[in-house]
Amino acid sequence: MGLDLAALSRQVRELSGAAVRTAASAAERAVRARERYLAVAGEERHWARAVDLSRDTASWLLARPVERLDTARDLPTCPPAYAVVATDGSQIDLDRHGSVACYLINIGQVFIRYGQRPTARLGSRPALYYREEDLYVSDGARRVAIEGNYLSARRDVEEGLALADLAETALDGALPALALQDGTLVRWTLAGAERFVQERFLGQYLGYLERMRARGIPTASYISRPRSPEVVGVIRLMLCPDVDVAAGRGARCAECSDARAGREPSCALCQGLVDADVLGARLAEGQRGPLFVSMSTINIERYGPHCIHFFHLRVGREVCRVEIPAWVASVPEQVDLVHSLVYDQCLRGGGYPVALARAHEQAVIRAVDRRAFERMLAGSLARAEANGAVSAKRESKEFSRL
Amino acid sequence: MTTQRIGEIIESSTTRFTAGAYELLAAPPFGALVRAVTRSEGLAVYGLVYEIRTGSREPGGRAVVRGRTYSGRELYDAEIYAENPDLAEVLQTEFSALTVGFAEGEAIYQYLPPQPPPVHYSVYACDADELLRFAAKNDFFRAVLFATHIPGDELLAAALRAVARARPDRHDYLVRAGRDLAGLLKDDHDRLVALLHRIRP
Repeated sequence: MGLDLAALSRQVRELSGAAVRTAASAAERAVRARERYLAVAGEERHWARAVDLSRDTASWLLARPVERLDTARDLPTCPPAYAVVATDGSQIDLDRHGSVACYLINIGQVFIRYGQRPTARLGSRPALYYREEDLYVSDGARRVAIEGNYLSARRDVEEGLALADLAETALDGALPALALQDGTLVRWTLAGAERFVQERFLGQYLGYLERMRARGIPTASYISRPRSPEVVGVIRLMLCPDVDVAAGRGARCAECSDARAGREPSCALCQGLVDADVLGARLAEGQRGPLFVSMSTINIERYGPHCIHFFHLRVGREVCRVEIPAWVASVPEQVDLVHSLVYDQCLRGGGYPVALARAHEQAVIRAVDRRAFERMLAGSLARAEANGAVSAKRESKEFSRL
Repeated sequence: MTTQRIGEIIESSTTRFTAGAYELLAAPPFGALVRAVTRSEGLAVYGLVYEIRTGSREPGGRAVVRGRTYSGRELYDAEIYAENPDLAEVLQTEFSALTVGFAEGEAIYQYLPPQPPPVHYSVYACDADELLRFAAKNDFFRAVLFATHIPGDELLAAALRAVARARPDRHDYLVRAGRDLAGLLKDDHDRLVALLHRIRP
């Protein structure tokens, strides 16, 4: 028996009703949060200090403002000719029930040049990992299997290294250029990892960013429909009765005075809001919002010169988030370039950067390809007379016993 | 035979083959003679291009309209390709050819070859000399007229017009070809007349 759709449809209807009520409440609270936020435009230093004071004791995410809070910068002129490189990856995870321990990472790579000499190169590069050092990260004594989140981390690293390779071979410096990745540049999935795992992956990842910096290639990542509440975290500080910057005191959620007095915390207004809800309404088509520093622990403690900044950008009905390392964020011309090129990419791609869409198309592993790969693997193991038996569980899923 | 390589076989069978063009939208014209090489040195297969199509390389992919950009700019025709260089990488032009004969060394045969050209082998355009060498005899007419699921009459007419253009005795050639066609279509007067109209000198 598969999915009982009749039983499901009632729950789906209930969900729709709840979604409508939540959206109405969120929209109303977003207006009030935005009013609070805009009222302190010009006091960025003050709130940056409040963020630093609250970093360790606030129980929510934060972002340190870098520009005026009410920044809404118009779209800079897009250069008539430019080049863009992008990579995206997909994977076939280690199958514990499969016949042999291995995983596959497929990296899609895209180079597009616009202007007088338009050209494009699209391709993908698969790599199969099966050696001991590919399957485990080890520091001698301990050994951690690369699967699940760690495989995603490895894929992020491979995407970055492939982008650096591509940028070094494809970009000749003659045109303005952009290196683009999908998703975030902050490898927060590694935040909770064991130190030696973090060292390994983060070291390689920062190595990629360092190569981009050394070559002076503006690097950015694009997050469609961002759900992060980091700027909202700053608004929580603005609402917090405990923050007193002059006295050197930030928000301490464990000792919340509202909670102690039996009141609802003042920052509850922000519950469930995301940055785009608050910042999006102010941005006209093509405009970007203020620059912030992401305050995730891993970014602040480990990224050093690559510390990740971000801004929001209005593209049609969507407000996207663009992340850039500090060495891009600190040069206004580079920020303008990223701003205009990312927007141009979105225009050409119907709302999403065309280079990323193409990289994804190149990377994606379809069900039919996956099956072909599995057959190839099984056939090759059989010919090599390796022990290729799958687990009993896997076999029972493939053939139901009648 | 040093003409330009224009494509590569992506599907092949005894009676017809399909090639992907190396350059987007640059397929040989309908009715053109093309040559595909084979694994045997000196053996090449001839085909007449009967279908040209351009579409997504991805199975099931479809083109979207791009002439009116989001910012309200109007783009026309080739401009759309210049503004979207990635299109040349995701679209593919293919052409299919009906096998009409083969060359083995210097000899040309107007019947089916022992093996079709292999997938991924090269396809070349034929220049005027090669076209005339192939079309020295008219035995291939029958194979084209009676092939199924292709516009055979249109294809033969287009091929004959191309041969005629390459010959100094254009008029006489078409008259002779018309006589041979009359013999092949003696049972179908209407079809013959329609075909003769298409190659009228």
